[in-house]
Amino acid sequence: MEMFIDPHIHVVSRTTDDYEAMRKAGIVAIIEPAFWLGQPRTEVGSFKDYFSTLVGWERFRAKQFGIVHYCTMGLNSKEANNVPLAEEVMELLPLYVGKEGVVAIGEIGYDDQTEAEDRFYRLQLELAKEVNLPVLIHTPHRDKKKGTYRSMDVSEEHGLPPSMVIVDHNNEETVKEVLDRGYWAAFTIYPHTKMGSERMAEIVKHYGPERIIVDSAADWGISDPLAVPKTAALMRKMGIPEEHIRMTCYQNALTAYSQSGQMDEMDWLKPEPIDQRERQFGNSVLRGGQTPRVEGSDIVEN
Amino acid sequence: MDKIIDLDKAKAFLLEFLQQEADPKSIEWLLVQKEKIQSESSYLKFYMAFGQASRYFKKYLLQPSESQKNEANTLLQGFRPDTWDQLQTARTYLLLHFEERDPTSWVTAMNKLFETGDMHEQQSLYAAIPLMPFQKEMKDRAIEGLRTNISSIFDAIALNNPYPAANFDERAWNQMVIKSIFLLRPLYQIEGADERANPQLANILIDFAHERWAAGRKVMPELWRFVGPFINEENIKDIEVVLQTGDPLQEKAALLACIKSSFDKARNLLDENHVIKEAIETGGITWESIGKEFQETLPK
Repeated sequence: MEMFIDPHIHVVSRTTDDYEAMRKAGIVAIIEPAFWLGQPRTEVGSFKDYFSTLVGWERFRAKQFGIVHYCTMGLNSKEANNVPLAEEVMELLPLYVGKEGVVAIGEIGYDDQTEAEDRFYRLQLELAKEVNLPVLIHTPHRDKKKGTYRSMDVSEEHGLPPSMVIVDHNNEETVKEVLDRGYWAAFTIYPHTKMGSERMAEIVKHYGPERIIVDSAADWGISDPLAVPKTAALMRKMGIPEEHIRMTCYQNALTAYSQSGQMDEMDWLKPEPIDQRERQFGNSVLRGGQTPRVEGSDIVEN
Repeated sequence: MDKIIDLDKAKAFLLEFLQQEADPKSIEWLLVQKEKIQSESSYLKFYMAFGQASRYFKKYLLQPSESQKNEANTLLQGFRPDTWDQLQTARTYLLLHFEERDPTSWVTAMNKLFETGDMHEQQSLYAAIPLMPFQKEMKDRAIEGLRTNISSIFDAIALNNPYPAANFDERAWNQMVIKSIFLLRPLYQIEGADERANPQLANILIDFAHERWAAGRKVMPELWRFVGPFINEENIKDIEVVLQTGDPLQEKAALLACIKSSFDKARNLLDENHVIKEAIETGGITWESIGKEFQETLPK
């Protein structure tokens, strides 16, 4: 079966129906970037519990549906504007960046492009260098072009090699510069806004598959957790070569994020656990009496 | 209750396994980290090293020799290194070098580690509690851990861990056993299962069985182990029901439960099934064999 990676999805806000559909559509691995929750947090403890969820419960939940879950850790640009809180979060981050399955620092960058955002973006670029992790940049939705260029300028100022940086939420206006400067260019497929699948396919036609990454960024808003497989299907219909589809919907994300040393194709190709104790997991996602649907998963009836 | 572990021996014992089984470069890293943790008493360094250990050690199970198994038992009754992996061994080794003189600051430091831990880190921490310098102070944390929905973490407390039997009050102990049954865990791996059996638990489990039967479902055969010593006029009827299910595994479990009973009717049931009774008496049927056989029937 065709395999996909969705390298940007906020699954904490998705249902088990989504997980099931994603697996059925061929998604084998996902990356969940640390982001905000749709409204600003007011306590550092909320960040702590959120980060713990990303490396704990959500990973377990994904596994029950046969999907390998990775995440990125970071302070998002919106919440960087609450400076006292942001400072506390910066103290917390070192505890999480070294955890298993943390594949990047992100999503970080600019929202309003304020001074505070700039300060915490730079601090996190330094953190990424220190722990040798790739960086996932969230480019702003307003004043996008300038914000995107600035994100790259500042990253270069801090000496990060473009090959270690994924610039996300690109569009037709930003893609050329991002690719020319050697960065990974990720595209978020949102229904109605930003990028649609058709536009995405045109971009791949025009620029080819190299360093281009397709993702859904599905979250609590109107969004589509199947955006990656759907875009792949559309690309096929539009006559884009199979290899280009594989690169943009699977391989490029794997190559970019496996630079962390925390993501390995074997995690899903050879999923039998090394640890015999994990062979049968109890579950709480499925309720009593339900039958597990994913063959070879850890789900047992209870 | 708070048994004092010989910490130096424990550290040496854990290191011996790693030296035997892990990459020498990883050992080198471990020893450097250990020194740092000891000398700088920096929380952050300790936490980072605890996390980073996953880059140096694998999750392969330890391969203790028979003499090492015995040694483990001498160090701590019920300590089962064959259920530990290399990574958790390394993490525990680091943890035992984090010296806190008083229980309050130890618990504070540990709680932060528990609260920020990923799945494997939490698993390591819960399994390490019986080796910690302060133990009874960790009771609330261990009980809190049982509330998890992640079964590898639950297992780290409930299975192959001598801590609950030695430290939990009856309420917490019973809750642990009931949840283990609910999650279909291999109950024979619960340390001190027979010693901590109690009539209250037996009653709860009988109610649970009735509830399941009413819904047309089964209960796991190992459940009857906890009822056996408390078989009476009332619940002997349930044992009889199990004996009529036509499921040989269930029947063996019901009869094995009767072995622990001094109730006449339970003894009679055994006599009526003398083939199974004999197999029980000669060690051919044990809770471990029943538990293993049952686990084989679960989806992999």
